[in-house]
Amino acid sequence: MDVSLKRNFCIIAHVDHGKTTLSDRLLESTHTVTQREMKDQMLDSMDLEKERGITIKMHPVTMSYPAKDGKTYQLNLMDTPGHVDFSYEVSRSLAACEGALLLVDAAQGVEAQTVANAHLAFAQKLKVIPVINKIDLPSANLELCTRQLEDILTIPAEEVILASGKSGIGISDILEAIVARVPPPRWADHAGTRILVFDSKYDAYRGVIAYVRVFSGTIKAGDMMMLMSTGQKAEVKEVGAFHPKMEPCDDLGAGDVGYIVSTIKATGDIKIGDTITHAIRPATEMLPGYKEVHPMVYCGLYPLETQDYEKLKSAVARLRLNDSAFVFQPETSVALGFGFRCGFLGLLHMEIIQERIRREHDVDIISTYPSVVYKVKVHGGETFEVDNPVNLPDPSSIQAIYEPTITASIHIPNTCLGDVLSLVMEKRGTCEHTTTLDTTRVMLTCLLPLNEILVDFNDRLKSMTRGYGSMDYELGEYRESDLVRMDILVNGEPVDAFAGIVHRSKAEGQGRSLCERLAEIIPPQMFKIAVQAAIGGKIIARGNVREMRKDVTAKCYGGDISRKRKLLDKQKEGKKKMKQIGRVSIPPDAFIQVLKNNS
Amino acid sequence: MLELAPAQAKAQGPPPLGLYMHVPFCANTCDYCAFYQTQPTAEAVRGFLAGAAREAALVEWNRPVDTVFWGGGTPGMLAPRALAELGEIVRRQGGGDPREWSVELAPASVTPQRLAVLKDLGVTRISLGVQSFQPALLEALGRQHTRPQVLQAYARVRAAGFASVNLDLIFAIPGQTLAAWQADLAAALELQSDHLSTYCLTFEEDTALFVKLAQGRVRPDAEAEAAFYTAAWERLEAAGYAQYEISNFARAGHACLHNMNTWRMAEWVGLGPSAASQYAGWRSSNVADLDRWRAELAAGRRARTDPVELTPRVLAEDSLIFGLRMNEGVALPALRARFPEAPWEKVEALAGRLTHEGLAVSEGGALRLTLRGRLLADAVGGQVMEAFESV
Repeated sequence: MDVSLKRNFCIIAHVDHGKTTLSDRLLESTHTVTQREMKDQMLDSMDLEKERGITIKMHPVTMSYPAKDGKTYQLNLMDTPGHVDFSYEVSRSLAACEGALLLVDAAQGVEAQTVANAHLAFAQKLKVIPVINKIDLPSANLELCTRQLEDILTIPAEEVILASGKSGIGISDILEAIVARVPPPRWADHAGTRILVFDSKYDAYRGVIAYVRVFSGTIKAGDMMMLMSTGQKAEVKEVGAFHPKMEPCDDLGAGDVGYIVSTIKATGDIKIGDTITHAIRPATEMLPGYKEVHPMVYCGLYPLETQDYEKLKSAVARLRLNDSAFVFQPETSVALGFGFRCGFLGLLHMEIIQERIRREHDVDIISTYPSVVYKVKVHGGETFEVDNPVNLPDPSSIQAIYEPTITASIHIPNTCLGDVLSLVMEKRGTCEHTTTLDTTRVMLTCLLPLNEILVDFNDRLKSMTRGYGSMDYELGEYRESDLVRMDILVNGEPVDAFAGIVHRSKAEGQGRSLCERLAEIIPPQMFKIAVQAAIGGKIIARGNVREMRKDVTAKCYGGDISRKRKLLDKQKEGKKKMKQIGRVSIPPDAFIQVLKNNS
Repeated sequence: MLELAPAQAKAQGPPPLGLYMHVPFCANTCDYCAFYQTQPTAEAVRGFLAGAAREAALVEWNRPVDTVFWGGGTPGMLAPRALAELGEIVRRQGGGDPREWSVELAPASVTPQRLAVLKDLGVTRISLGVQSFQPALLEALGRQHTRPQVLQAYARVRAAGFASVNLDLIFAIPGQTLAAWQADLAAALELQSDHLSTYCLTFEEDTALFVKLAQGRVRPDAEAEAAFYTAAWERLEAAGYAQYEISNFARAGHACLHNMNTWRMAEWVGLGPSAASQYAGWRSSNVADLDRWRAELAAGRRARTDPVELTPRVLAEDSLIFGLRMNEGVALPALRARFPEAPWEKVEALAGRLTHEGLAVSEGGALRLTLRGRLLADAVGGQVMEAFESV
């Protein structure tokens, strides 16, 4: 097929602005799937995604569209994950396109993610086609949406298409606009073969399936291919396209979107953003934008029931097969037993992995407090990364600690401005700009330390704005900060699961609340037991475990002595199941309770 | 005050020997009671007496018994003639007049005839299962007697001239207030018995109360129980009854020797269904079933279950667990001399810790629990077991 008849585009939108429904209408309208085949949300296959209305993994699809100019075009739709955690993956799938449909909910207007995604699309030099969706809603405000697009994103009003994915309004206008406005595939005449990997999937029988966009050249089964970032070579076993199910084809050419099955078996060997070329006569230059992704957020994951460790182990291993951004390694905790230290791209990524372990792998898990990756410079000049508070070196050897920051774009109703600003300040953030979105809403651009938004920032934002606030963020630079490691001690013994790296100004408050909660949850003890928070050797907060008042059996006659022993034995049996911190026996769920309360 | 020194201090020679007789009959089952008992049909009583004689004959007695204790059930369910027969078995095998002979009686069963028989046998001590003086609480416990019956029974026992009389009381009964408990204590003190046993109601498995507990209809409250305990200890101490064990108080010279010997890990032979023995190197319990107990005896052997070998380690450990429940405490040097192979380093460390935490005091080598320590005696027992690594 002539390259000029191909169009590659994606749909970008804030959560719930109707991306999936609109995609489904496009597939229906181009007869890519019949209505009967159309399950409600064709492109989102994981339950979790459906439930949250978000897309995590991209599912490309190729459509055939006979346009009004009489020619039949091949339209490749790239569905993109909508969240910043996956911003690199988003940027790679945007890089596989020449155009983007920017969807705005007619009733909600421009939201934080709309802005963030639009900026990503501009950065990839995509042609952006603005679509105001859900225009048939009674609360639709077309004038406001149009003005916001103009004011915030400098998108001219005359380019806006009005649509409704639900009732099919505007679908043909959109298809025509894709043909007319999205440029044909770029860089098609480059000398070598260059194919962008924008996603991959693991298949137990076929190994890694790379989702690709061919920029120049062709590829077919039997070719020897090479990954340009590593030079690794492999034989191509199969190539094909998405209709939307995977269907093998003879070859993939410039402008095509499809998949490649090769002799490569490990997901980690085919990295997203890498360029595939021919092993013989390789291209001289990679496609731009490739980078290695590193986890930004870490936490410990432990099975609630120790016997589930093996199940958890197989769950994380299987998740990793399909998600090379998720990393893990075994870890042991005094308080929680055997588990894994896991690294994620961000908070949502972490939440999704945890939910999938619970649901798809049926393992009940508990997570320790998430931690970001700190950079620690020790005296003598060496700098290294620390993702687990336990590994932070002795304070005396540290010259400086640097923490990752973010630039957050926060959309809120005007009336909540004061509350949100004080939340930002409480979280050690600063507000750089305030932009008026309309008469009722403002957008704040804030700098915040990443670790401050890990736990409750989003929940509190949502609750103080009664659900109307939204936030998106980009990772910023590392910044030096007065950070300390805080240990929680029970009867003088540190409880590893509660160690944390905190800002000095917050240590006392956090320490006190943790100590109080733990002291409250630990059952009464016969000896006086203190729960303390400490920085280095210095105690900064304490709580006292309640003292046991009465534990005595009244009768103990001759006949009772054996029974009494049995009773004590039974108590001992129960105690065995407890976690021993120093001399204190603590029911394992006490730690879990505290960790749960906090999330 | 008590003139009894810890047994370990004079431990040379065989320890005192006790005989416990379990009379397994009750008219009905009290809601809180988990002791083995059955209906006293004429056939069952005949079988019991025959079995008791047979079992006593099967024991290889190596010395005369020092103390006798009849419990149950209620021994008072036996007719005077049956009591006499059972008493003869004890006298025949026990080798004469024991130093102390206690018999538990339910107040409703106390008649001059029965008391006369017991007195003739040489019984020295009567223990009355009063439990409470208040009708509502007696009702709550499922007891079958009234306050006037209790008073009449006490008067009859006194008139019969027994050397020592005990009253059993129960507290922390569902619905009982601290004031009601004080009233029961006052009523008991008014009778001026020689000995008082006050038992915190325990919820034993297989009792009607336990079922209520499991259904959430009654709820034990550790704070309230602690308050009841403390109230009794203070009140009885002030009235001249010295506490000598968690649940036991006596005027000078009236502590129950049989029980004290038990807690000091002396020896005793238990006869009757469900009775426990600690004798000749073994601890065991008889089967808790009258028919199976009789069947085994008919076959020429005692129906013993759950045997535990009494190693020095077990005896040292239990001497601590049960000795610390007594106000006299445990003389550690004497115990160490008796059982040198016990983990003394850990025991000493535990003693230090208990003392440091104010749960115990150490005086002249004897480790004694404080009031707070006694309230936690089970937890202390758990710590002892930990020191002995018996779990």
